[in-house]
Amino acid sequence: MKPGSGTTTDVVTDETDVATDETDVEGAEAGEAGVPGTAERARDDDTGAGAGAGADAGAGAGAPGGEETEAGPARRWPRVLAGVLAVVLLAAGGAFYVAGRQLRDTPATSNKALTDSAATTQVAGDVTNALGKVFSYGPGDTAATKASAQQLLAGKALQQYAALFGQVEKQAADQKLTLTTHVVRAGVTRLTHDSAHLLVFMDQVYERKGKAASTAAAQLSVTARLRQGRWTIVEIDAR
Amino acid sequence: MTSRTRTLSGWAVLLVAALVCALGGWSYAQARGDDDLAYAKSRDAALADGRVDLARLNSLDGKDGASIDAGLAAWLDASTGPLHDQLKRTREKDAAELKKSGATARGKVTDAALTEVDERTGTALMIATVDVEVTPRTGKAGTERKRFEATLVRTGDGWKIKALTALGIGGGA
Repeated sequence: MKPGSGTTTDVVTDETDVATDETDVEGAEAGEAGVPGTAERARDDDTGAGAGAGADAGAGAGAPGGEETEAGPARRWPRVLAGVLAVVLLAAGGAFYVAGRQLRDTPATSNKALTDSAATTQVAGDVTNALGKVFSYGPGDTAATKASAQQLLAGKALQQYAALFGQVEKQAADQKLTLTTHVVRAGVTRLTHDSAHLLVFMDQVYERKGKAASTAAAQLSVTARLRQGRWTIVEIDAR
Repeated sequence: MTSRTRTLSGWAVLLVAALVCALGGWSYAQARGDDDLAYAKSRDAALADGRVDLARLNSLDGKDGASIDAGLAAWLDASTGPLHDQLKRTREKDAAELKKSGATARGKVTDAALTEVDERTGTALMIATVDVEVTPRTGKAGTERKRFEATLVRTGDGWKIKALTALGIGGGA
């Protein structure tokens, strides 16, 4: 256990210094107990027979090892403090994280309506254009309206529209009816990256040849889905 | 050697703990200071409050004097600003008229959406469709479909309706 290299000696010396610091306290205690002696002696007393066997070498390895396990209150409290601090820091970090998560984890965050103004404007614009197109027709161009409906509507909305349009198509031809639909208000209630729900207020102007035009109000709840970069209406509910 | 290793690992544990705390704090601070999140929460609160307010403003139990008074008080509670002042001014007259007719109205918001939210001024614009079921004192009940545009204002007691417009035909594009 005799030091072989310079570096090892340094380390051993360091540890001995530490040990000596500690043993001052031990020495004081020993002094109180009525055993006068140097620090070395006090340590020998403390570690008992085991340390005695080591003699010189004990100063380097055995004794500090003994200090570790037999540490007095003075040696233990910084470690306890460090442990408590570590636990407090971990707990605080965890609590902060959970609190932050709770702030974030609300339905409000997944809904981008109005918070993402560009996407909100886009979906409102696409749906407004689509409704204006599919609910406007003249006696001659029902085919064009039908074709645009095939493009702008999908799924359930297409069936809902077909049922509605079947009657209208006949009327348009028979009564020379022209319908023009204007969207007056459109609000987005829910918006995710590929799905949206809107409420749309429309004014519909009916014109029959030779008669005064009449206007009706219509309100639709619309569900739209983003398909190939364009919003397609998949569900329509009259309100 | 064990002493030094232990001391080092002790410091390492402390460092990791401090890092965890700092990360947690940073994540919390991010959520706290997230303007989008605050805006989204205002939006949802405005829509939820606005729907309730609008339903109340379209409802009135005309059974007797007390229920009419309660209904008119609910109207005042759901409104603020100009609408509140107007309802307050006409309260006596409204009560007398409602007592005479004895009709009961029950408003149900079928859909509502916000078209604008201004977090800075605490105002929002809501559009909504309402089904109002009106039961006259004698006769059959009927349902009216109405559409409204309401201006909402944030008050100390939630969002309230400041102005209410029934959007008729040609309600302006």
